[in-house]
Amino acid sequence: MTNSAVSLDGVSLVFGGKDTEHVLAVDSINIEIPQGQFVAIVGPSGCGKTTILNMLSGLIRPTAGSVKRHGKEVTEPSRDIGYMLARSALSPWRTARKNVELGLQLHGVGKTERRKRAEELLELLHLEGFANAFPSQLSQGMRQRVAIARTLAIDPDLWLMDEPFGALDAQTRLVVQAEFISLWEKSKGSTVLFVTHDLEEAVLLADRVLVMTARPGRIKSDNLIDLPRPRIIDELRFDEKFKAAEHKIWEELRSEII
Amino acid sequence: MKSLKPLSIKFGRSYEVKSSDGEESIENPLMSDEQKSHETPKRFDMASLPEETRREALIRRIDIPVQLSRILILVFIIWIWETRIIFKGFSVFGFDVLPEIIPLFQGVPTEAWDYVTDVWNEKLFWHDFWVTLQEALLGFLYGALSGFLVGMTLGRFKRARKVFSPFLIFTNAVPKIALAPILILWYGVDIGSKVALATIIVFFIVQIPVMAAVSGVDPDLDTVASSMGATQLQKFRLVVLPGILGPLFGALRLASIYAILSVVFGEFLASKRGLGQRLLYQVNNFGMGAAIALMSILALVALFFNAGIGFLERKFLRWQDDTTRGNVVSL
Repeated sequence: MTNSAVSLDGVSLVFGGKDTEHVLAVDSINIEIPQGQFVAIVGPSGCGKTTILNMLSGLIRPTAGSVKRHGKEVTEPSRDIGYMLARSALSPWRTARKNVELGLQLHGVGKTERRKRAEELLELLHLEGFANAFPSQLSQGMRQRVAIARTLAIDPDLWLMDEPFGALDAQTRLVVQAEFISLWEKSKGSTVLFVTHDLEEAVLLADRVLVMTARPGRIKSDNLIDLPRPRIIDELRFDEKFKAAEHKIWEELRSEII
Repeated sequence: MKSLKPLSIKFGRSYEVKSSDGEESIENPLMSDEQKSHETPKRFDMASLPEETRREALIRRIDIPVQLSRILILVFIIWIWETRIIFKGFSVFGFDVLPEIIPLFQGVPTEAWDYVTDVWNEKLFWHDFWVTLQEALLGFLYGALSGFLVGMTLGRFKRARKVFSPFLIFTNAVPKIALAPILILWYGVDIGSKVALATIIVFFIVQIPVMAAVSGVDPDLDTVASSMGATQLQKFRLVVLPGILGPLFGALRLASIYAILSVVFGEFLASKRGLGQRLLYQVNNFGMGAAIALMSILALVALFFNAGIGFLERKFLRWQDDTTRGNVVSL
């Protein structure tokens, strides 16, 4: 399957060396993701979820195995990947709009065009009144939305999300999740790799949930989530089918945690 | 059962609600939110808040009690000084906190003011002023620039830091004013030796915080920029440089004061011209009023210097809180 959007083939990664001990972070991972699929990865903390994203983004190279996108080996950061971190990581000296523009600026997009694009995105995320606010003037939920806008501004083909809503309180998280999922459902078939430790979030949002083992991280199970789209996540939470799906995966995850 | 308990509203379904007096009311699920809002109690009207006039805003900003206290304290200081009360000595539990000063060594504000009016039209005074200013400015410029560049490089390149840090730590540990006599031998009694001393002192004041700030820039910002394919140069311009501006300006403000301190010290040791040289001459000849005047002038120069950097800081660090931004004196 060379035309998979993402394919990891026998990927292992060892950290450390020199003055620290070697640590096997992920062990012989195989993942194939077709274009347009929303895949969530859940697993205990420190199991190498973020490491997988870092390898896909081209920030680090695997010790063994191959990481490919559309059949091509990933060797360096690519312009069509949007990577969002757990902390919003906004530049405090840039306004919300300028933060959204960062990727476009790095790629040499002209001033008026990137401004237009940033304003569009801020509006989609209900932040139109805050374009000129600095991050310190925004609430945490708003900052995370600015970070989503920044990630999507470059119109990425692959969205890498590293626990993007982990720092939000329960209610804000619900609102931001709903905004995020509707943005993705409206996007033109982008592929998403969504790392989270929140199983409910994974099942609510994803088409497919991968459960990882504790370190060294391996894929423990691969679960398709058969819930209709578009998803109204605040109601889906109480749906029996959803609960059953979550419960089934929880059984897998629990033995890794407890 | 005489009455039903009121229930909370859930997902648009309607519940019968019976009030305690037995009267029955039914929540209509078809009623829109807008219609409901007509029945809610009157909301607080934001427009009813009194608007602050310009005059009120100005008064609030000036903060009259603070200004009055400042003026009172200043008047008090000048009064005990001018009346020479301060020279009579002052002791706490038998310790002479302020010893009694003999009249020859006393100087009062009016004498200082007389000196200022005397020299105001004197060409040589302004020449001295310019010499000292030039020494401080050049020393500040060379020191800040080299300190910035070295701090930046060593902050960014770990291995270079490892190589050079023992040398820098040792040099920094040298009491730098002890270098002054040597610098005078090497660079001569003119401005060169003072510029050199100020450069060395300013260099370390700037280099150390810049180096620390570069390694302290949020690694997440670096990751984000890298994942978007930023080049080293782009990361320097868009992540590192703006990230260290805060500590950099803090260091520059401190350095501006120290630049003047070091040139005055250099002039004390050996010099032909300059305000420091003038100050030492006056003290040696018991011109205490003149000495006070010259010290005040030097302080004013340092304050102006500092205020100039504070102005730039406010311009570049608009995003920071007002409380952390540099004000020489809050007005």
